[in-house]
Amino acid sequence: MSTAPTHTHPHAAHAPASGLSFGGVLHSEWIKLHSLRSTLWCYLFTVVVMIGFGFLLASVYSSDVPLTEAAQQGVWVQVATIGINFGQLIVAVLGALVITGEFGTGMIRSTFAAVPKRFPALLAKVLVFGVTTFVISLIAVAGTAALTAPVLPARGVQPDFGDSAVWLACVGGAGYLALIGVMSLGIGTIIRSSAGGIAASLGLILVIPIILRVIAGVTNTQWPLNILAFLPSEAGARMFAYTVDEPPPPPDTITLEPWQGLLVLAGWFLAAFVGGAILLQRRDA
Amino acid sequence: MIEAVGLTKRYGDKTAVDHVTFTVRPGIVTGFLGPNGAGKSTTMRLIVGLDHPTEGSVTVGGKRYSKLRAPMREVGVLLDAKAVHTGRTAENHLLALAATHSIRRERVEEVIALTGLESVAHKRFGGFSLGMGQRLGIAAALLGDPATLILDEPVNGLDPEGVIWVRNLARRLAAEGRTVFLSSHLMSEMAQTAHHIIVLGRGRVIADAPVESILAMAKGNDVRVRTPDAARFSAVLIANGATVSTSDPDTLDVSALPAPRIGELAAQERVVLHELAVVEGSLEDAYLALTQDEVEYHAGGTEPA
Repeated sequence: MSTAPTHTHPHAAHAPASGLSFGGVLHSEWIKLHSLRSTLWCYLFTVVVMIGFGFLLASVYSSDVPLTEAAQQGVWVQVATIGINFGQLIVAVLGALVITGEFGTGMIRSTFAAVPKRFPALLAKVLVFGVTTFVISLIAVAGTAALTAPVLPARGVQPDFGDSAVWLACVGGAGYLALIGVMSLGIGTIIRSSAGGIAASLGLILVIPIILRVIAGVTNTQWPLNILAFLPSEAGARMFAYTVDEPPPPPDTITLEPWQGLLVLAGWFLAAFVGGAILLQRRDA
Repeated sequence: MIEAVGLTKRYGDKTAVDHVTFTVRPGIVTGFLGPNGAGKSTTMRLIVGLDHPTEGSVTVGGKRYSKLRAPMREVGVLLDAKAVHTGRTAENHLLALAATHSIRRERVEEVIALTGLESVAHKRFGGFSLGMGQRLGIAAALLGDPATLILDEPVNGLDPEGVIWVRNLARRLAAEGRTVFLSSHLMSEMAQTAHHIIVLGRGRVIADAPVESILAMAKGNDVRVRTPDAARFSAVLIANGATVSTSDPDTLDVSALPAPRIGELAAQERVVLHELAVVEGSLEDAYLALTQDEVEYHAGGTEPA
């Protein structure tokens, strides 16, 4: 229409123009994470159930023989980290949902319109979800250790709070859950559907190890177990193992050091993350 | 300013957008019109980089969307009313989007008020009606106070009051000097909102003109003929270069042949006419005329040509 005014748009006139920044994207992902009620419930459930499992093990534990000091600390770590077996399932599901929930609802298009380079949005998701999961897992694991300490002496276990190896294992356990979570987020980015992402992630964490164990049992061979040692859950479990005075592994068996387990799991995460990042850039949304 | 040059998108062997070239100028409302499946949404997704073009390019303000420093401040986009997580409240959705560009909370409250979402701002999106979803989508598009607005079917699902509201909003935003590009499959809606119309059919631009010119096309030369001898006369008309369609057994809708000529032919062929009337072309007719060969799926279950 020829009569349309031609003055420039007014948005430059007011408000300091704020642009897209990675800090802003991080903030956005933080809002997204805590504004979903399901996330809050899942986290709360994880903490409660993990502490519950710890108490369960602490209340039924018994040893026929008196334990060495290191063995007692090992039992305490086991009590503190037993809930991780359960927690990893929720964390894997949550991690996949962080991104597949957006693909499923169409939210991803809003996200990509706001952050068209896409990668910063994925990185921010990984950081926000990873750090949040680490902190909450640390509360759950260290909390279990602290809360079960008073009931353990009755079971023949004297927790030594001054033992830094115990707390290192707790930090390792929290790190394990965080890495499992962000690996699952990477898998979700690759697969995009919630059901598929969760299935793939839990398959890798739970099902493949079982299959390998069955093969090892049936064929009575060692190689399936040596593959198993490098799978995310098995390698990662070394991160929260209490390794002081650990009995030596049987011959021909691969047992990773905790730091090696960390590196292997981090490798799994990186593979999923890089694969997801590449596909995210290439695919249409 | 949006500029598409030779923009093409293929999905497998299906071409959704086929070498489309157009310019959307600031200061006016540009309508993007076409039947469902014509490629409007795909074109809009290409503009904001959600889909990658197979060929060609499209820029907003001279830059590719992904190269913009502050995309939400330059382009506001409503792609479809479902680009929202169903578990999140409207306000949190807007806060999360605003955070990426460090847009202040006051602005979020502003767009909530502007779009009339106050009463549902704290409700989760999963329970929203289509109309409420549209309002939230428009609120999100306005967050960054952008110079360019791209709205895909913004009046879809809105009640009449909402339709008028969107119409006024679009025209006001354009009057402020912004570029406003909105799509619809309804010609009547476009005629009341847009200053300029780009018609898309089967992925190709089939008209790109001021709304007045498109309206002029609507002053069609269609003639309605009622005759008991419809079948025979229809053949005669077609033989003389007319396009004939029938809505009921004794009525012929004739185009591409003027009424006097039809009368002459009737006299020549001794066909009894019960009615011979020039039909005032409607916008919808013009639109259908423009797109009749371009509709992907015709009613009646025939295979696409």
